Amino acid sequence: MTYENKKRAVLLLIALAVVAWIAVDAAAGGAQYWARVWLRLPLLLTGSGSGWPITGGFILNILLSIASMAVATALGTVMGLATLAKSPIIRLPSFFIMNFLRNSPWLVLLFAMLYILPFEMKVFGLVIPFPPFVKAVIGLALPTAANFSEVIRGAVQSIHSGQWEASRSLGYTQMQIYRYVILPQAFRRMIPGWMNLYALLMIATALATVTGIQDVLTILNTSLAMESDRVIVYFYLTILFLFFAYCYPIAIFARRLENAVKGDNL
Amino acid sequence: MFGLDYSWLSDPAYQQWLLKGILNTIELAALSSCAAVIIGLVGALALTLRIFWLDAIVELFVEVFRNTPPLLQMLFAYFTLSTLGLKVTDPSTGLSVPLLSAFACASISLSLFGGALAIEAFRSGIETMPRSIIEAARSLGYSRWSRFWKVEAPIAARICLPALTNILTNLFKTTSQASVITVPELMYYAGQIYNDTFRTLEVMILVLLIYVSLVSIVTFAMARLERWMAFPGYGKGH
Repeated sequence: MTYENKKRAVLLLIALAVVAWIAVDAAAGGAQYWARVWLRLPLLLTGSGSGWPITGGFILNILLSIASMAVATALGTVMGLATLAKSPIIRLPSFFIMNFLRNSPWLVLLFAMLYILPFEMKVFGLVIPFPPFVKAVIGLALPTAANFSEVIRGAVQSIHSGQWEASRSLGYTQMQIYRYVILPQAFRRMIPGWMNLYALLMIATALATVTGIQDVLTILNTSLAMESDRVIVYFYLTILFLFFAYCYPIAIFARRLENAVKGDNL
Repeated sequence: MFGLDYSWLSDPAYQQWLLKGILNTIELAALSSCAAVIIGLVGALALTLRIFWLDAIVELFVEVFRNTPPLLQMLFAYFTLSTLGLKVTDPSTGLSVPLLSAFACASISLSLFGGALAIEAFRSGIETMPRSIIEAARSLGYSRWSRFWKVEAPIAARICLPALTNILTNLFKTTSQASVITVPELMYYAGQIYNDTFRTLEVMILVLLIYVSLVSIVTFAMARLERWMAFPGYGKGH
């Protein structure tokens, strides 16, 4: 057996041992606790006891992460390219904002957004409401955008300077160089970073409970209020497993892409 | 300015709270950073031994702690470790009390979370070590031990430093989540202050600024360290 296969076999053994341990524990009286978890599982996943309609729960965390990632990608691209700008009037402020957002804790930023953003905003007679969900999306998108702009910067800077020189000597303008030469190559290199960032964001959605949306932690806390001490352990293990099961495959896939991209350094 | 009211800041009681919060935050961050670096070193060294079962265990540890929210890890430690048996009987009252305080739970779970990140960072640092330098050291006749101390370790330390900066700042920022399990750090006292004064916006802006300045100090110090440690002809040393 190769080294990797041996390692995989051990990991499989550990997984089997965990399953066996759960079975033994269930036989020794843990089954009634698991039954409580099973009863609450639709609520934890979708926010409603019967599993439909979706009003919260873990699925809301996923939706929140997708919405935040979309905002963060758009914002981060602008910020990342702004930090690469030649003009210091654009570069320095965006550098400052990026570092500010990167250095602030996610939880504190989320809290701050909760109070800084108004309840609703009137733009030309159009009322834009800011429900907690939107505040959570913005609060999580800001630090993610700052991190993503760093990913973009890194990817653009990793492109060999010969590419710049070659395209400049061919008479491309700055915009054309970015559009036709640099970004297509940089794009490939930023995908693993982007995916890692998404996994990080998904993990951070657990913080959104402070905004009061019905996310998995909020529901967990309300349903734990009527459970015994012992059951709480099983509930927490279930939620930890949910996050792990969602984020681990993304991390694996990102690493595989990273290895695929590693080779094409000029 | 902007209609913000900071008159509460002149109250010595609130100043005391903020100061205590800042000190506790720094203590928590320092403690868990040290532990995380130690876990990272031990883990990364264990990986270099290339023992397949040890490798599997370390990888499992890293993946579990990296792919679950640190907030949940902290809550788990706080609410369930005592249920699982970590409790002592107080001799004076006869009641059973949790063995670990909220602070201990927070520092343990932050150490493990940071440790998992550190193992991963150190591992990839060792992996990107230039093979040619190691081969050169070998051909010069260095023994295994002196090669490690005189060639590999100095280079690996410098390669890993930027990643270490990320981990330290990440841990520092994550300490704010310990407020959820009532650890009296900065974020916790912020909550106390705005419960008292109802100046939520002002308190949050101030706390955000404090955190950003503290983290910036860490980043700045690490950048200085990186420059100080750099040697000519390699990385940032020119």
